[in-house]
Amino acid sequence: MVSKVVKVTNEQGMHMRPATVFSAAVTPFESDVKIKFNGNEFDGKSVMMLMAACIKCGAEIEIICNGADEEAALAKAVELVESGLGD
Amino acid sequence: MYKGIEASRGIGIGSICLIVEHDLSFESKHIDDTEAEKARFNSAIEQFKTETAAMAENIRKNIGPKEAEIMEGHLAMIADPTMAGEMRKMIEAGQCAEAAVTAVCDMFIGMFSKMEDDMMRQRASDISDIKISLLKLLLGIQDVDISAVAPGTVLVAHDLTPSMTSQIVKENVVGIITEVGGKTSHSAILARALEIPAVLSVPNITELVHDKDTAIVDGTEGDVYINPDGEVISQYVRKREEFVRAQAELKNFFGKKTVTADGTEVELFCNIGTPKDAKKAVECDGEGIGLFRSEFLFMDRPHLPTEDEQFEAYKEAVETMNGKTVIIRTLDIGGDKDIPYLGLEKEENPFLGYRAVRYCLSNSDMYKMQLKGILRASAFGKVKIMIPLVTCVEEVRAVKALVEECKTELKEAGVAFDENIEVGCMVETAAASLIADMLAKEADFFSIGTNDLTQYTMSVDRGNANVAYLYSAFQPAVIRSIKNIIEAGNRAGISVGMCGEAAADPLMIPLLISFGLKEYSVNPVLVLTARSIISKWTKEEADALADKVLSLTTEAEIVALLKAEAK
Repeated sequence: MVSKVVKVTNEQGMHMRPATVFSAAVTPFESDVKIKFNGNEFDGKSVMMLMAACIKCGAEIEIICNGADEEAALAKAVELVESGLGD
Repeated sequence: MYKGIEASRGIGIGSICLIVEHDLSFESKHIDDTEAEKARFNSAIEQFKTETAAMAENIRKNIGPKEAEIMEGHLAMIADPTMAGEMRKMIEAGQCAEAAVTAVCDMFIGMFSKMEDDMMRQRASDISDIKISLLKLLLGIQDVDISAVAPGTVLVAHDLTPSMTSQIVKENVVGIITEVGGKTSHSAILARALEIPAVLSVPNITELVHDKDTAIVDGTEGDVYINPDGEVISQYVRKREEFVRAQAELKNFFGKKTVTADGTEVELFCNIGTPKDAKKAVECDGEGIGLFRSEFLFMDRPHLPTEDEQFEAYKEAVETMNGKTVIIRTLDIGGDKDIPYLGLEKEENPFLGYRAVRYCLSNSDMYKMQLKGILRASAFGKVKIMIPLVTCVEEVRAVKALVEECKTELKEAGVAFDENIEVGCMVETAAASLIADMLAKEADFFSIGTNDLTQYTMSVDRGNANVAYLYSAFQPAVIRSIKNIIEAGNRAGISVGMCGEAAADPLMIPLLISFGLKEYSVNPVLVLTARSIISKWTKEEADALADKVLSLTTEAEIVALLKAEAK
């Protein structure tokens, strides 16, 4: 299992579009991708759960990947969040 | 006549197509052949995806990519493992497809509708829309084909879901009436994008009308008439012509300079709250930014924005404006705008307390980060610094001294900025107005903030309904104050602008022309309206009206006179 804490920087936080971009990018990976925020874990492959987590701009989230391709999944996920999730 | 919320301007007259709410009730039953039920469910999902994708494409082509995002969102949601996946699991456990769809959707609707965030609550209505579409597919219910309605149709529905709106053919639908929804609902946004008059939240309208009834939709006033007599119809036919003519006339003002009827040119700027709004200002033909509120950078986040973050945000707006003026107002916190991480203490009288420039001057490290961010952005266009809530000359001097410090530090670091950047002040307190002549010697420009100026001059909290009647920029005291500020600035040879709501008020504009205002800063959507009103007045006419106004002693008389003389 690998993980990294990153900061959400896009203005809107984890709204519809950023959540869609994120889940679409991590879904192809075999590993489980979870987002830990405010003490709760959310499925990173689920748009609904990402939105339900209510992650706002400036929030720090931990991305946790677990599985065969966990390193690659984490790298991709971190890059996405740091680049502002396509916003 | 029925009253509702005016959601999209204009007048529509036509024949009603009533969109009936279908009975979506079903009998929940235990399923033995879960494979067959899953197949039935899967085919409904596939059909939903195909239809939704087609609608998204339709909206993208006919309205725009931004509006199509709603339908694309529906697709993303249904593709989510927690949506269809959970539904499938329930079917495997023996539930019928309808029950599975209802349970999972209702769970998410409950979750999203409880959220504090408006945009998130909107997701609840998206999921409700998905649920209804899926149930209709499963129950085999056929909807009215909105895309096939005859020209001259007024759509009447309980609610117009995005999936219904996406089928609208602009040429055929002349009006929209619903029982629910407000100005920011999906249906309102799409109606405005399509320029179809719409009145929303008309109680029980679906029970009051029948197919083929004649309806008038006045989306400007929020009025609806069903089967009106000939006189009312001809009255509204005239109103519709006037509206269409006025809209066409406004479009004529696009790309033009802002000049009074006797040829004096003034500047017409926009008020914005984020760098992205600058695009809107350009699209609406704003000639610059008269007020860029910087609070957005500081709000909804756990700690202060860095100098770099601020610089990037200001630069984005400055580059979008492409050489046109951008006036950035430094942090205006306190009062009703709290920023938790600054740890400001709760005050008895926040509007009279530790806020805006007062706070910034006693937190100069933080303030210098902002000033440097602005200075660095000034290398990319024409930027000005504006100080909020000034009450005495020392404040202007102190800010200017800090700006000089920042300039020295930037120079030492070899960072580019505009050496001649102007530093001006908001004039929005009674104190600043009374010493406008003294401030004019210190500041490079003035901008009148009429909202606060009215509040502080009248000593009235506009949020308090018991005293809100006193809150009016047309009070003699406020009008005198505005006149004094403009004249003091003009005597000192500095530019005077106005960035409050009054700058776009058709009743206020002639007074501002008479007093000699040089720059009007308005909400982007009001640029063309303001330009059109300014173009109707000569200085001589405005002076004559202002003389009369200044001799009146009550707000009621002043408003009555301005309305009677309005152009």
